[in-house]
Order: sequence, then C-alpha cells, then structure tokens
Amino acid sequence: MYGLDAISAHNGWQLAALGTSIVFAGLIILFLAISQIHKILEFWDKRDTYYQSIKKLVHRKHRSEATFSDPVLPKNVKGSVRQFKLLIEQIGEPFPLPKLLDFSEKCGFPHSHSSVNDLLKAKLIIPDGKGYFLWNQEVEKNIKI
Amino acid sequence: MPVEINIIDSLNLFEDLSRAELEEIASLMCRIKVTEGEVMTRQGDQAHSIFILLSADFMVFFKEGRSYTLHNKGDIVGLSAAVIPFCYTGTAVALTDGVVLSMPGQELLRLIESNPALGGKIMKKINQIISARQPFVTGGC
Amino acid sequence: MVDLLIEFLSNTGFALAGYQNIIMILVGIVLIYLGIAKSYEPFLLIPIGFGILMGNIPVIRDFGLGIYEKGSFLNYMYFGVMHDIYPPLIFLGVGALTDFSAMLARPSLMLLGAAAQIGIFATFLGALALGFAPNEAASIGIIGGADGPTAIFLTAVLAPRLIGPIAIAAYSYMALVPVIQPPIMRLLTSRKERLIRMEDPREVSKREKLIFPIVGFLLCCFIAPGALPLLGMLFFGNLLKESIVAERLARAARTSIIDSVTILLGIAVGASTQGDVFLTGKSMGIFILGASAFAVATAGGVLFAKFMNLFLRQKINPLIGAAGVSAVPNSARVVQIVGQKEDPTNFLLMHAMAPNISGVIGSAIAAAILWSFLGG
Repeated sequence: MYGLDAISAHNGWQLAALGTSIVFAGLIILFLAISQIHKILEFWDKRDTYYQSIKKLVHRKHRSEATFSDPVLPKNVKGSVRQFKLLIEQIGEPFPLPKLLDFSEKCGFPHSHSSVNDLLKAKLIIPDGKGYFLWNQEVEKNIKI
Repeated sequence: MPVEINIIDSLNLFEDLSRAELEEIASLMCRIKVTEGEVMTRQGDQAHSIFILLSADFMVFFKEGRSYTLHNKGDIVGLSAAVIPFCYTGTAVALTDGVVLSMPGQELLRLIESNPALGGKIMKKINQIISARQPFVTGGC
Repeated sequence: MVDLLIEFLSNTGFALAGYQNIIMILVGIVLIYLGIAKSYEPFLLIPIGFGILMGNIPVIRDFGLGIYEKGSFLNYMYFGVMHDIYPPLIFLGVGALTDFSAMLARPSLMLLGAAAQIGIFATFLGALALGFAPNEAASIGIIGGADGPTAIFLTAVLAPRLIGPIAIAAYSYMALVPVIQPPIMRLLTSRKERLIRMEDPREVSKREKLIFPIVGFLLCCFIAPGALPLLGMLFFGNLLKESIVAERLARAARTSIIDSVTILLGIAVGASTQGDVFLTGKSMGIFILGASAFAVATAGGVLFAKFMNLFLRQKINPLIGAAGVSAVPNSARVVQIVGQKEDPTNFLLMHAMAPNISGVIGSAIAAAILWSFLGG
C-alpha cells in the first residue's frame, strides 16, 4: 500500500498530530517551568525581607545570642551603622569579619553581607593589616545618624 | 555566556597580553552571576576554577577568622586552581550580588604550558598576588 | 596437502566475496574519505566507514566472526547498539559539554526547537506513503531530529536492520547542514526579517544552571518516560558539569567516555551495515526522506519563529528557527553565517544555541513518543 491510503491505514495522521502535540506540550511545560526558576530564586533571596515584615506584624522575638532589641531594618549605611557598632562592641576589637557577619545574621539583620560591604566601602570598618578589622571612629563622627 | 575581549583587556592580570592572547583567554571564560552570601570557594576543597570579579564584592576568610575583602573589578579569587596543590586556601563569600568571570584552572594551566611567553607573564602576576595574600593564609589542605 | 590448500583458499575473502561485499567496502572507503579529507563529521564517519569495511569482509558462516554471530567480537560490540547502551552514554558526554545558559536566559526560544521536530513527523508520514512499515517509518522519521544517538536509539528498538543506512543518512545530513539549510532559510525570510537584531539575553545565575538539569529531567521524563535513558544521561552529564565539584567526572564524561563510546558505536553501526539492506531501494528511500526531513525541520523552525513574531513585542530573528534542527552546534553556526551575510555585526550564534539545545531535548521526547506508540 502506498500514498495517502497507506498513511490512513496505519493511523499515520493521528500519530503525527498526537506526537507533534505532545512534543510541543512537553517543551511548553518545560519553558514555563524554566521561566519561573529565576523568579523563585529571587523570592527565596528576599525571603528575609518578607519574613521580617511578617514577623513585625505578629510579635517581637527575643534572641539569646545577642542582647539587642530587634533592629530597625537598615536601608542604607547610616541606618546600619548603629546596629553594627553595637555588635562590634560586643565582639571586641580587632574583630574577625566572618564573626561579625555570623552575629548579624543571627540577629536577623537582612542583607547582612551587603550591609557589611557598605560599611567597608564607607570606611567605617577598616582592616588592621593582620586579617582582622576595626571600627573607624573618625569616619563615624562625620556621619549623622 | 561567551566573554568579550573588551571585558578582560582592562583587567590588571591581563594588561600585558596581546590581542591574540586575550582572545585565547576569553575563550576559556564564562560569566557567572553571584548573589549575596553565595560561597564561591571553600577552604580545603579541590580548586577547580579561578574567579575574576567584574561587579561583585567578596570576602575571603581563613580558619582563625582572618580575612580580607575584594572590591575592585579585576580582583581574583581562587588562584589555587593554578597552583599546586590545587586546594582552595580560603573560603570566598560574595558580599553583594554581581557578576564574576570563571575560568577552569586546568585550562589556564594548559594554556600556560602550551604558550611559555604568555604563561610567564600571567604566572608572574599570579605569584605577586599570592605573595601579597600569604600573611592571611593559615594553613594548607 | 593440496586438499588443505584448496580448503584454505576457498575460505578466504577472495573466494567468498560477492558484488555486495565489494560495493559496501567501496562505500566504507568513501565514508572514510569524506571524514578525513572533507572533515564531514569525522568522529562518526571514520569509525562507521571502517566498521563497514570490517562488517563486509566475507567470512564463513558460523565461524564466530560475523557481527550477527553470537560470541563474535563484533557481536559483543553490537550488543551496546542493540540494547541501547551507547546512545545514552553519548548523551552523558553531550550533557557535560553543553551550556544551557542560552536556553535558560530566554526559554521562549525552546518552542523553536519544538517546531523543528515537525520534520520528524512529516518524514514519518512520507515514509508511510512510500510503503515503509510504521516502525521503519518512525525510525526514518527520527532522522529529522538531526541527532545521531537518538536516531540509533530509536532504530535499535523499532527497526534494527535499518540502523546502518539510517545512521549513515543521519550523520551525513548533519554534516551537510551548511548546504541544506541556507537556501531554505533565505527562501522563507525577507531581508528585513534577517536583519532583526535580538536583545542581549539576561545573565543566568549558577543556581539556575544547577536547578535546571534536575527540574528538566523530572518534567521531561514524567511527560515521556521513554526518554529516560537519553534525557536522564543528558541532564546528569549537565549536572556534573554545573556542580563543578564533580568536574573530574564531567571531564571524563565529555572526553574519554564519549570518545570511547563513539568509537564502539561507529564500528558497530558500520559493521552492521550489510549489502543486503544497504544496497536496496529502501536505502535510497531512506536517503531521500532523510534530506527532506532536514528541509522540513528547518522550514518548521523558521516558520514558527515568524509566527511567534506576530505576538511578540521584542521580535526574534526568524533565522534562529533553523537552529531548532538539533545538529549541535552546526545549525547554530549556519544561522550565524547566514545572519552575518546580511549584517556582519549581527551576532546570532548565542541566541541560536537556545533552540539548538532544546531541539536535542525535543528530538529525544519525539523518539520516546514514537517508541511508546510503535514499540512492543
């Protein structure tokens, strides 16, 4: 058998239509899933911000590792200066930078890494040349908090 | 994502290289997006890649809490991927979101071995950087 | 003494050779020539060509030498083809070589890879119309997927006798993509469309590249479980690559493993290509249908890109639809060349990689679907 009869006899049209549709459907589903991955990751990265907002609405939480009250969400260098200074006083100087980051995360500071980076760039935190860091009182005096 | 030459020709590590040499280096690299808090290298792990900062800030810390920070375009993390015994000597954490260039250490070594003139220029700069960071390193693998 | 000598001489290839052996040996030599002198898919055509030489040396039956004789060296090598072992291992290496960033940065381009798979089903219909049985027609149709391992994977299950001509057709046309595609691309697009510049894709994070192989594998195999061997190994190879901590394994997958398996696959496929199957009208039909498969797949991808542009604000250059033909990276390079002929500053290669890679996934899914319809 040849030609269109052969195709019809073997259900060729149905197989081709169904096969094409399934391939399309599969790749469309994959496309939809992939296009959401980076959005989900972005949401995951900002989860602290959302969590803090929700927490504020619900209750105030006491933390055992640090004796500080819940911090105001710092949005810029000036905002985070007071909170980090208090942490550094607790740790002592010269202090290891990873320890400061660890403490700030435990205290619930959002975006602790970028906040520390802002303080480094503003020269409020300066290296002591031996792998540890110091609080720069001179620069702090010039910043209105 | 392929890396254009104009991204790397301004970097200190590659400033003495010719256009052909830059093209060869660029072909080994790819861009990676990093997010705040992401760990790029862990102390003691097998060193596989070298990372060159384009727009992110990094902290590299060692066992006793000693650390240094990197903020400039062209700063390098993970040079152990090109140096025996190929183990990262520090842990590198991104302080901010940004973009880095990643280059497999073994590919760089292969390039250095196959092109002595180019390799000499690059290894000299690598050794300078490693020497400057040596005081922070507390131990090997 | 004389009797022994006569018996020995009567067992030599000179005494046993028929015209089919001679012609197939010439075919093998031609493939080796194309692979070496013309650099047409040398990694496949050289092993296949030499395999044809090995498989068509006339030997006495039941002497344990022929590829279809149980226990022979060639039969052991053929085991990996018949039981679909080699193609997934090649996909492992492909996954370890592939960077999915282009696809992750602009997932909508995956649909062009889907559209190009229409070549498979159109060729399937054409093969049925020419009188091939459905399982043979499906094996011929998969040539349109432009993926050698996928073609061998499906053919080994549905029509093992046709592995030789189908593999040779698939790899030959993959090498001829720079000849087949450009005229079709120019015919179906206007100059204005060919000049479209696409916006730079977004940066893709390391985490996305790590999550994708797991998500992709789970979704694809839940939809088409028959694709498990191929896509499982593809995504596993990619995960090894992206995880970086398993770089040694990824390196092994994309170098020694893929190269070793390619050698075994090529020799086995070539040796299984015997004159009684290859030198028939069926083979001629396979080669004609194979060419049309590539042409239809190219047209499908380009036309779908034009269709997508009806709804998109940021237009895509329809040339990249041709890259949905998953001859990675040949068809993406063809898109780059055709685009640059119109505008030397228009770099389409990285955009074309997205449909190119999704075409690999699409052809594996299509193979799984055909297997589920026609297998068993």
